[in-house]
This record gives sequence, structure tokens and C-alpha cells, in this order.
Amino acid sequence: MSLPYHILKVCGGVVFAARAGSIYSFNSDLEYISAWEYPVKQQQQTKGQEASATEQQKESSAADGPPTKRRKVESSQEAAPSNGSGDAEGAGAPETKPKKKGKSYTTPTDRAFVQGLYSTTDGRHLVAITGSDKTIRVFEHDGAGNLRLLSERQMPKRPCDIAITPDNRTILSADKFGDVYGLPLIESEDGQWSKETSAAQQKSRSATPAASQAYKPQANEFTVHTVRNRKALENQKLVLEQRAKEEKAEGPQFEHILLLGHVSMLTAIAVGTSPKNNKPYIITADRDEHIRITRSIPQTHVIEGFCLGHDEFISTICIPPLRPDLLISGGGDDELYVWNWVSNQRLSKTDLLKEAQKLAPEMAKLAVTRIFATRPKQINKKGDENNKSDDHTLVFVICERIPAIFCFQLKDSETTLQHAQTIPLPNGNNPLDVEYLHSSPSPRLLVAVDPNSITTSSTENTTEPAATTTTPSLRVFSLEQGQWHPTEQVIKGPEPSTGSSPEESNPITVQELQKILYTTESLRKTATDFE
Amino acid sequence: MGRSKHNKREATADTAGDKKNKRQKREDYRTALRENGSTELPRKKHYRQRAHANPFSDHKLIYPPHPELMNWSSMYPHYVAEEGPADQAQTDAEVLPDRDSEVLKPKKLTQDVEVADIGCGFGGLLVALAPALPDKLILGLEIRVSVTQFVEDRIKALRAQNEEQKLYRNIAVLRANTMKFMPNFFTKGQLSKIFICFPDPHFKARKHKQRIVSTTLNSEYAYVLQPSGIVYTITDVPDLHEWMVGHFEAHPSFERVSEEEQEADPCVTIMRTETEEGKKVERNQGKKYVALYRRLEDPPHE
Repeated sequence: MSLPYHILKVCGGVVFAARAGSIYSFNSDLEYISAWEYPVKQQQQTKGQEASATEQQKESSAADGPPTKRRKVESSQEAAPSNGSGDAEGAGAPETKPKKKGKSYTTPTDRAFVQGLYSTTDGRHLVAITGSDKTIRVFEHDGAGNLRLLSERQMPKRPCDIAITPDNRTILSADKFGDVYGLPLIESEDGQWSKETSAAQQKSRSATPAASQAYKPQANEFTVHTVRNRKALENQKLVLEQRAKEEKAEGPQFEHILLLGHVSMLTAIAVGTSPKNNKPYIITADRDEHIRITRSIPQTHVIEGFCLGHDEFISTICIPPLRPDLLISGGGDDELYVWNWVSNQRLSKTDLLKEAQKLAPEMAKLAVTRIFATRPKQINKKGDENNKSDDHTLVFVICERIPAIFCFQLKDSETTLQHAQTIPLPNGNNPLDVEYLHSSPSPRLLVAVDPNSITTSSTENTTEPAATTTTPSLRVFSLEQGQWHPTEQVIKGPEPSTGSSPEESNPITVQELQKILYTTESLRKTATDFE
Repeated sequence: MGRSKHNKREATADTAGDKKNKRQKREDYRTALRENGSTELPRKKHYRQRAHANPFSDHKLIYPPHPELMNWSSMYPHYVAEEGPADQAQTDAEVLPDRDSEVLKPKKLTQDVEVADIGCGFGGLLVALAPALPDKLILGLEIRVSVTQFVEDRIKALRAQNEEQKLYRNIAVLRANTMKFMPNFFTKGQLSKIFICFPDPHFKARKHKQRIVSTTLNSEYAYVLQPSGIVYTITDVPDLHEWMVGHFEAHPSFERVSEEEQEADPCVTIMRTETEEGKKVERNQGKKYVALYRRLEDPPHE
């Protein structure tokens, strides 16, 4: 079966689309450019090699010789020829990646799916997170759709969402355990980022005092007299030494710093710049209905406030472009909320369930998965002065397992979302992601759809692998007289390279796929636990 | 589910029957205590519960979505402000302009809760603080249901016993998971004192994330504390003491209160001697480690 594209990201004139663990690029006419494929072969081989590789590494690490791990060899080979381009700030950085232990790869049965694609504001770098291996990958983007892997960093816990600071230097990774870590976009050789960041953070907050280190056996060689006790003491010391080693290996080896944390699963993170003082803030949302506003680096210990009022989990937040003080949030509630996050005030609620019920009257609850806001470029026919008065932001919303895209307008003078159109998807397919193409003469909407969602009963046929569908997984919509209409534009993806794609060597069942693609509703709390 | 299991077993197994009886006895005792309006102090043996609760699980907790929607009036009935409905509507509009009209705004108090005892246990500190801080509203927060009920009944009885002196009207208890929901109850800078007394030590390294003091949680304590507000910590576990000191020390929003000032604070004496754990440690002639931290002003935003 063909896996659908499930994440989209427009970066300059290039469209990136993720399918399973791999990333494909298309130009603005949606012609395929290139691909970065998730290293699946490696994954299977590493298992066998692991033991010997780690053995070798032990020996060679002291001599500082060439890296023995496959992964490192490959990336440095890749890096070498293009090193002369020198447009990245930390040129030469990728060769000296921090050492990783052999456990970097999880079992092959774990499906690697890109969970999010992000780009820097300058479009030079693309960042991808994958859930199953908890890894953040940074790519260099040449501006023409070609990606070069710069670094892979495995986080201690699964990242749920990331944001990149406005200066494009730091990745903020919000994880499943509620913590936000900062890590440099480009790893520097001498730890410059860490030095600057932690110095700025006044006292290094990541250097939390370790309590367990303090333990020492109370006895020593002089106080122990019997042979047995001496042996016991020696043993104890050995255990302690081993434990110390293990502890060292536990934390990630790359530069990172703990910035803030909730005692709840984080679901979304954003960086906003307050129009009041022009300072950046970190906005985090969690499963326990909180939206927290924290000062950005270096003062992440200062919580400025909370935007409270959601009754159910929050799954996604969005700061509309050119409305920097607004925040749109959605999740398990029936409504979308619009906040002024600077003053922690809720400005409006928009009933989304009502719109969804127009499609499916029996619907009782919904789970918002995407809120995407964009600024349509005004293409003026007559003069440009007249149009200024009704400038607006377009907001597109996707809910889990609802085969439509909800389109709202946010006028510049207002703080309420106005429902503009509900765009039903052909064949009743579920949307997975949406992007907006500022193309002329008229803009287009690119939607990643799940072609396997045609029949609802397919979820029940558990073992049956999904039938090969001819339904395209990328859909284009065009704007005609103010309404979005589906086009028949066919997007040709890459030719499947035989044997290398994960779906061929190990076909995925529909149920498995659904489990991976539809995770938002499961954030809802079920009150079963009493005491 | 658990209950039907018990019922089935009751007929055959004596032990299960005993358990059920015990539970039933407890429930009967508690309802009797409540219904009779008894002024008798509750007895701990009817409120036993295991000592730990998982702060990460979704307990069936009740908490307001926003501090403004917290109904304090039933907990501090003697402090309810007499307010005209017009006033109410006005303050309502200030906080949440589009708040649904059907949600009734809870009655306001004449003053806000200012002191919080996080993990108040059986309420020893609360009861001792009530007369010591007579003009402050003090709130105990506890995650365990039965223990919270005990403190509730204890306060009720104490209020009834001291009706004339008007004592114990300034203390109340609430079941809550403060690690998750503190900002749902308190606004920024609302508290002047936070007590963290004999918290669960969570000895295992992998349970350290569950400790009530951590780098990231300290930022939340700083959020609800007003500048120059104080966090009181006490424990009999040296490791945990070091942990708490280390984490508050490393947090830029806090500075340690000098020993001189610490010893002069009457609350420190109460904390040492009046908490249940404190008394237990005393009986066993254990050591108690105290550390106080003052909330600093936020630095100017760079």
C-alpha cells in the first residue's frame, strides 16, 4: 500500500512533504525535486553490528581515530564535498558530532514517522522530529529543495513539538514529559552556544544538583577488618563506579539546556514577540488545559502568566502572522479560542463543533489537530489603497477524522474568527495537514489527505493490509470567486526505489497506520482513576 | 468494579469480608460525623490511606479552569464579601469579557488566600497556624482523598468547638494536585507564604521527577508567590534537604533566608513542632532540616 503524505511545510518556494520517516520536496508547481529518505537499511543492520561497533568504539575512542559507526561515516562523507559552500554559520560543525551510544536506534518494528517539520525564518534550515526514535534532525536547505542532514540528536523523551527562536540559533523542544529543552540549531565545536546560553541564564539551570552522587560508603579499608567485609566493601565500590559511569551515559551527550517544564504532557510550543516591549516569549500548551507564557532565553525562569479557560486538552496553538499579540488555540473543546497572550485575556470563542455538525449532525466532540494561519497576498486589480481596509488573515483548521477543512477569516480590526467556508474533501478522505501556496495568479491550498480513510469500517479489518488506492495523497485546491474548489492536479511523487522503502519490506496495516496518524483524540482524559 | 468483586468474595472469604466491613465502618463513621453535626474531632483511624499518590496520573480532580472561577465561599464562609449583583457583573467583565453568561461567578471573599501548605497531610500545621496568623487566609492542599476529608472534618469540628472565640475560620483544605494545577487556584503573586513540610522523599532516582521541589516547579512557586514571599521547607531526610536546597539555590528567583532571620520566624517553630511528621521525628529523636527561601523581584526583562 502507499503511505500518505502526512506533514507539509512550505519553505520559500519549496514544498516539503513528509511520508513516514522520509521527506520529499516539490517546487511551487508541485513537481518533485528530491528526497531525504529515512535510513531504513541501516536500522536493520545496526542491530547486528551494534555489539561489535560498540566494542570497536571503546578502543578507538581513546585514539580519537575516525568514527567507526556507519551513521557517522555516512554523514561526514556527505558533508565533506559541500563544505565549501560555507553559508551556514557554524561551518564545519557537522563533522564533529557528539558521540552517541549504540542504542540510538530503536527496534525495527517501531515505525519512524516524521511528527513535525519546521523551518527557520531565513529558510536555510529545516528541522524534523520523529516520534519513535525521539530524534531531532536538522537539515541544511539549499533553497532549491535539496536537503543535507547536518545533525541528528536523540532527546531523552519524545519531543511533541518544537519551535525555533527568532534569531534562528536555538531549537526549543517540548517533550512528552513536560520539559522544554533548548539546543543549538547548529552545533558548534567548542560549545559556544552552551557557554553563551548558560552564562546568560545567570546560573546554569541545567546543572541541577545531583543528589545521588553524594553517596559514599561509610566504611573504608581501615575500619574493615575481616576478609569478607573487605570483599563486600570492594564490591560496593565497584558497583558505585559502574553506576557513576551509567549515569554519565544517561544524559544526552550534545549541548542542551533545560529551560522550563510543566508537570503534564506538552502538546504545543510557540515563540511570540510581544508588540508591547518587542521581547520574545515562549508559549507552551499542555494536556491539562494550560497555556503558559514564559520569558524567552535567558530568563526562562520567569513565568509571565497563563491563558486559562480551556475545559479540555489543548493540542495546537498558532500565532497569526501580522497579529503578533493574538494566539489561537484548539484541542478537545468544541470551540477555538482567541487570546491576547500578552495580557492573558481571552478575546473570543468560535464554535467549531457547530460547523462540524453541519457535515455530520451526530458528532458530539472533536479534536483539533491543526490550526494554520496565513496572510493572503493582496493581488490588486485596480489600486492597492482600497484593499487595505479589509485586510485579513486566513485561518485553516483540521479536526481529527473530519473529512473537511474549516476556513476562517480574521479581520485586522477584529479579534473574532469569522467562518468563511467549510471545504469538504473529495471521497470523504481525512485531511492530515494543510499548507498555503502564495502562487499567482491565484493562491492554492495544498492538503495532505489520508486515502485510506474512505470507509470507516476498514478500521475493523485489523490484519488486512490496506488496499492499494489510486486516490492521491496530496490534493490541490484553488480559489475561485472567494471559494476553495478541488482541482484535478495530479502530483507525481518520487518513483518508489525498490527495496529501500520501509513499506515494502514490512507492510503496515491500516490499523497500525491509523494509530500513528490519529493520536489527538487520545489526549482526552477519561475519568476512571479515583484515589 | 472493585466493589462488586468484594461483594462476591464476602460470602466465601472472611478476609475480604473484613476488609469490606472496615471500609463500610469508615464510611459509616464519616457520614455519621457529618450528618450529626458533631463537634467531636475526627479520628485518624477512620481516614487511613496509603502514603503515596502518583502526581502524574489523571486523578478525578476538581479544579477551576481559572482562579477567578474558584469558589472559595464554601470553604471560608465567614469571609464572604457582601456584594451587589451589579458589582459582580462588572468585575466579571474585567476578567473574562466574553465569559458565558450561564456560568455563575462565585461569591468573592473579603480577602484572598495568602498562605498555602502544600501537602498538608492531616492538617497539624494548618491548625497551629490558624491562631498564629489570624488575619491571613490559610489553605491546605492535599492530593489524597481520605486525608483531605479528615482535615475537612477536623476543621469543621474545631470551628464548632471554638464558635465563641471565632477560631479556625481562616483555615480550609482542598484536594488538589499542586504539581499540575497550582495556577488554576492562585493568581500571579497571590501568596505570601508557601509551606512544604516533610514532603514525600521519593528516594529512587527515577522517581525524582515526582519530587515536589524541582527546577521547573520552582518557577511555578515563584509565579504564585509575591516578591519577598517565603517558601518554608522542612524534612528529616538529609538527601532530600540537600536536593531542595540545591534546587532553590540554583533558581534565580530565590535566595536563602539567613539563619538568624529563619530562627526568629515564629512559623519555623510551629513547622518544627506542630506538623504530624515533625512530632513523629521528635519522638524518634531524629533530625529536622529547615531551609527558607525568599522570592526575589523579577529582573528587568532583557
